[in-house]
Amino acid sequence: MSNSDVPKISTWARITNPEDRHPFFDQIEKLFKNKTGVAGLIIIACFALAAILAPWISPHDPVENALYDQLKPPVWQEGGATKNLLGTDDLGRDLLSRLIHGARVSLTLGVVSVGIALVFGSFLGAIAGYNKGWLDNLIMRFMDIVLAFPHILLAIVIVAYLGPGLRNAMMAIGIINIPRFARIVRASVMDEYEKDYVTAARAAGARDLRIIFNAILPNCMAPIIVQASLGFGAAILDAAGLSFLGLGAQPPTPEWGAMIAEGRAMILRAWWVMTFPGVAILLAVLGFNLLGDGLRDALDPRLRD
Amino acid sequence: MKNSALLSIRNLKTYFQVRGGVLKAVDDVSLTIDQGETLGLVGESGCGKSVTASSIMGLIPMPPGFMAGGEIVFEGEDLLKARESRMRQIRGSKISMIFQEPMTSLNPVFTVGDQVAEVIALHEKLSRKEIRERVIESFRLVRIPAPESRISDYPHQMSGGMRQRVMIAMALACHPKLMIADEPTTALDVTIQAQILELMDNLKSETGASILFITHDLGVIAEMAQKVAVMYAGKVMEAADAETLFSEPRHPYTLGLMRSIPVVGLDKKQRRLITIPGSVPSLFSLPQGCLFHERCAEGRKECGLVEPPMIDLGKGHIVRCHKVNPKPQQESWNHGSRES
Repeated sequence: MSNSDVPKISTWARITNPEDRHPFFDQIEKLFKNKTGVAGLIIIACFALAAILAPWISPHDPVENALYDQLKPPVWQEGGATKNLLGTDDLGRDLLSRLIHGARVSLTLGVVSVGIALVFGSFLGAIAGYNKGWLDNLIMRFMDIVLAFPHILLAIVIVAYLGPGLRNAMMAIGIINIPRFARIVRASVMDEYEKDYVTAARAAGARDLRIIFNAILPNCMAPIIVQASLGFGAAILDAAGLSFLGLGAQPPTPEWGAMIAEGRAMILRAWWVMTFPGVAILLAVLGFNLLGDGLRDALDPRLRD
Repeated sequence: MKNSALLSIRNLKTYFQVRGGVLKAVDDVSLTIDQGETLGLVGESGCGKSVTASSIMGLIPMPPGFMAGGEIVFEGEDLLKARESRMRQIRGSKISMIFQEPMTSLNPVFTVGDQVAEVIALHEKLSRKEIRERVIESFRLVRIPAPESRISDYPHQMSGGMRQRVMIAMALACHPKLMIADEPTTALDVTIQAQILELMDNLKSETGASILFITHDLGVIAEMAQKVAVMYAGKVMEAADAETLFSEPRHPYTLGLMRSIPVVGLDKKQRRLITIPGSVPSLFSLPQGCLFHERCAEGRKECGLVEPPMIDLGKGHIVRCHKVNPKPQQESWNHGSRES
């Protein structure tokens, strides 16, 4: 590609040829132009930063009891102290520190459960979408059955079977989210299946699995990414629900849902114990949903101008 | 003749089981392609050209498709009896395919170089560096300028003609014996079309590969093919070497196709195109007798009753028409005369 027909006004600007850019970068640029998407990204970045830097930025040990500082109100309330900016719970543990460490738990949980759902859901969905017929029917009807259960109820059943605990809660949430991914991936694989490049790959002698995972799936990334982002928020919410019911994170783990459950008894005496974890959940889920919507706008070709 | 044939299709029947019955997409088709030869397969849309190509590649979706009979012998091996694993070895390396739409037949999320590399990697164990060399070499073969930088382009950065060159490079990457080109120039504009045709013609003599050239454009066939077969509603109507077919077409359908080619520079009276009346019959309700008789200008009584057999006029010229066929009756007369 010679640019001899382009007058050389500025040689310094030609370090990269803008035409040689992967379309991915155009989509990233589009995401950054999307205000809600950027808002979501900022919120998530804050939480991610808090999670990564938790041991260094949290003022106290999140599980350390302080019997003389029980139920201290936040700093702006009467009786609050700068020592505990957001107050303490009934065991005198610093709420801010617990929230910061809670971000760790929630984000890990999101990554693991969305990871499980994404890997298995994409695999099943891709197989189903590629092999129309009995295999498709078998997989998707099974997914329908899973979807027919109330969301949290199924998670409870799975956790009850596996035993309570954060790890099992992650697995349960991962499993109940498999059908969502399977459906989306199946739909986009069926879309892509009709395209000529699939026939071309077959005519080149590629085997089915290679065609599915090497040729088709990379073309289905946009809806998968969007669903993953939205799924993150849902997973955090579900995990908080399970922990609230005592089936997820066990004390003294600083998990937001578990913290709400612990503060429930003293909502009238010490509102902050329950409120701040609730706000944290709200912000985190909101962040992922905003990002998900922004990504959808940026990646979905049908919404493109 | 059998020895030199690279590919010989005999009485191929590719049917599809559909709700309304059995659809005979390809019915009793026989073709042969010799080494280094180009066979043109002409016909209207839906006449079974592409299904023939897919049958050779073993890419007919089964079900609903099924092979009702016949054989496809490639280098002495019946492809219809070959296992799927064997077919995968053959696809892309011994028989390769070029598609109609260069816009959609390249994967949009990979660079064109990677896509050509994929084909080579599927069939040959080579190091990354060697594959890269081969890709660049194949790009050079199809006259893509600056191949070293072009290999890292994405399909959307290329023009239609360039993309079709990439497709051809992909088809040639493993030095196939046979290339199936399914309307490779239909989606391109005329100047690019001419370039691609010239390129394919040159490549054929450079690589010695045979080409099965599928098109609905008789002009393209005249330029490219040594042998031509005309298909209609799943059957071969006439086949001959290109010269014979164009100088003395015998089937009314072939004649009709030739008359419907527009010619530039005639005066107004002559300029009016002659069309073939009616349309291609639905494969669900094929007419009795000759498949073409309802549209045929020279139809006779027997055309609607008896299907004409394939008549050999010698020198590989075969026709399926009652008009050119006084032979069966002659035979019976001879029979009678011999007895008397």
